[in-house]
Amino acid sequence: MARTRSKMIVTLLMVVAVAGSGVLVAQGAEQKFVELNGEKFPALAALGPPPIPMDLPQKRDARGFPVLDDPLVQLGFLMMFEGRLTGDGSLSCATCHVPKEGWGLSSAISRGYPGTSHWKNSQTVVNTAYLGKLFWQGDSLALEAQGEAANTGLSGNAKTDLSEERLRQVPEYVKRFKEVFGTEWPILKDAWRAVAAFQRALNDENTPFDRYMRGDKSALTPKQIKGMELFQGKAGCIQCHNGPMLTDEKYYNTGLPQQEEFLKDPVLQFSARWQHYQRGVSEEIYRKSKTDLGLYFVTKVKDHMAAFRTAPLRHLVYTAGYMHNGVFDTLEDVVEFYNEGGGDDPIQRDFGFSTKTKRLKPLKLTKEEKEALVAFLESTTGKEIILPEPKIPDDGIFPAALAKFGQLPPEKFIEKEKKKE
Amino acid sequence: MRNDVRFATLAAGLALAVVALAGGPAVGGPPSPPPLAPLPELKPEKPEQVELGKMLFFDNRMSGDADRRCADCHDPKKGWADGMALSDGYPGNKYFRNSKTIINVAYAPYLYWDGRMDGEDLPTQVRDALTESYWHLMDGRIMLERWKQAPEYVERFKTAMGGEANFGRTLNAVAAFMKSLTSKNVPFDKYLKGDQGAISEEAKQGLALFQGKAGCIECHNGPMLSDYKPRALGVPENPYVFLTPKRHLQYRSVMKSLGVPNYMNLLEDVGYYGVSKLKKDIGTFITPSLREVSRTAPYMHNGMLATLEDVVEFYNKGGGDRPNKDALLKPLGLSVSEKAALVAFLKTLSGDELIPPDLDRLNDQKMLAPYAKYDWLKYSH
Repeated sequence: MARTRSKMIVTLLMVVAVAGSGVLVAQGAEQKFVELNGEKFPALAALGPPPIPMDLPQKRDARGFPVLDDPLVQLGFLMMFEGRLTGDGSLSCATCHVPKEGWGLSSAISRGYPGTSHWKNSQTVVNTAYLGKLFWQGDSLALEAQGEAANTGLSGNAKTDLSEERLRQVPEYVKRFKEVFGTEWPILKDAWRAVAAFQRALNDENTPFDRYMRGDKSALTPKQIKGMELFQGKAGCIQCHNGPMLTDEKYYNTGLPQQEEFLKDPVLQFSARWQHYQRGVSEEIYRKSKTDLGLYFVTKVKDHMAAFRTAPLRHLVYTAGYMHNGVFDTLEDVVEFYNEGGGDDPIQRDFGFSTKTKRLKPLKLTKEEKEALVAFLESTTGKEIILPEPKIPDDGIFPAALAKFGQLPPEKFIEKEKKKE
Repeated sequence: MRNDVRFATLAAGLALAVVALAGGPAVGGPPSPPPLAPLPELKPEKPEQVELGKMLFFDNRMSGDADRRCADCHDPKKGWADGMALSDGYPGNKYFRNSKTIINVAYAPYLYWDGRMDGEDLPTQVRDALTESYWHLMDGRIMLERWKQAPEYVERFKTAMGGEANFGRTLNAVAAFMKSLTSKNVPFDKYLKGDQGAISEEAKQGLALFQGKAGCIECHNGPMLSDYKPRALGVPENPYVFLTPKRHLQYRSVMKSLGVPNYMNLLEDVGYYGVSKLKKDIGTFITPSLREVSRTAPYMHNGMLATLEDVVEFYNKGGGDRPNKDALLKPLGLSVSEKAALVAFLKTLSGDELIPPDLDRLNDQKMLAPYAKYDWLKYSH
């Protein structure tokens, strides 16, 4: 059945509206809270089915979760691996969201477009259906917008006109877009809608943690249960990492250490400067800042400097390195960082005032307590999601062109070898 | 003083000679085309700007994926064009027209085969080449951050352009370099200035045909040997524009961005119609300059004619076949020796081969203003 594309804006608004009400809870489920130091925080919970845009219905299983066996989702899966969407065709979503690397990238800093570098850690695609704020600084509010935005600048450097014509040159895509969206020719926006649909079907929701929260008290080990108690108690993680996604989707500066690669890699250095320049910060800030300004790039509010969206704590086992700049290799490093009350504020260093969150204080955790926390953090990961890489279809010649000019031997090109980091 | 007088006399004589060569206006007939003339002298560009612009022209970091240089499609050893029928363009795509030489671009009032760019504003042409997806796909902001990471460029921008590397200064430097590339020691220009021995007798016969029986002068006139008007010649379509998927999709993408209707179904290069959107202009292209023409084969907007002999033969037959073909094109009935004479004349329009003496350095991307590893926390940018 063809899906109409006329109500897309409505869909986006709806997703925003749902996300705006806080961390998503399963439909019909009652919001519960936990109290810590006199404050109330949304309780940890199992994941329910993710929200689906009403104008782009997806096939769901009996429990309401979107399934992979859906023409729309399968098209999105193809688009995840489709180089034609990017500037020079040498990258795809899957370049930095690798199935075998937890649908993120195992390196600390993500890859950039050739000749540039990214400057942040690549986040997993798994469970993004539940997020209302995407990217480390919440630039995008819907998956459809996120994919499109990620395909620009230092990650994709794409021009929409060209990417769209590339899709139209592939007979297989002309057929499949028509089947799914009902258009005569593929439309680039629909490619991003398909990718978003695929993401909504890529969930790790049957983890030991979820099973435990759904009532299977044997799903967590005693050590993990102790970790969960610490998480909601002495360690205070729940203050920010709460709700079913273990994030409040708010922004904090934790005083994360400088990513050392910045200190030595020229391409990373100018790419980081580019980030400041293209975000339109003032000249003073452009020249003084030696760190990623995070949410400030979006809001230009000084208190938001170096603040990043609380990371969801799911699928962690497969998604090291951690934090927005990938500075920690292990969950032990992360726990130790918080045990020390976070780090030194880079904003204090660069600008003489601090934006570091007041929530972070030394925790005085014992070795056993830290181990229990790590054990708990590992319980929010289920099975690794490995899908076989799809076969990307070939370009075709338009039948009308063949009819007019006849079959000729194909042109031969000597492609310059692509530089890939 | 004496020299000045002599020069004035020479100039006056020259003007007369030029008018005589052009045949002069026929009484009651159509106005005659502007006469052929030597290239006028230009105010020289600042050498330090030319030098910086030249380095940038050869630097592959001036493209999105740091893999494409201006010099890739404007190669000094190929007459500052690329020697191919259809140009390459940015990786991931293939372009659909022939790369033009940039020699003498300083004199051109319109740029590109469809004339969509103003020749008076060369920095904007550089901007177009840098930012369009089919050529350099360059984000100007990442480009200037790249220059600021290269100490040699930091220094050169300061001395040549008066400050920090920025987008505008980059465009101006490259434009300065391009303007500096003008024909030098052209035999035909020497002949026009009075050196009778500068071109052969055969070439002189070719010149007479050019302005007479062959009628080339109707469109190829003035110092650039071009009227810069859109003309339909009926050059056959290059089938590879539509049979090579990466060219066809590139063509559609450009037509879409120009606002050409029905771009999905076009199977011909509409040329200047993409600019004017007037039906009469479908398949017209701007008359190219004939200067340095012997160095820039293959010919025409789509490289469909391999040699100058082919081009002369094409016109001898009255051009190709299309409904809106220019009325000026008619079979010429040229003899074999007349065609050879025309080719001999066309070859007198090429001057010295303009190869930069430091070409090896420019082609070595590792040596061209390398990046520095700054002490990130200490250095001020």
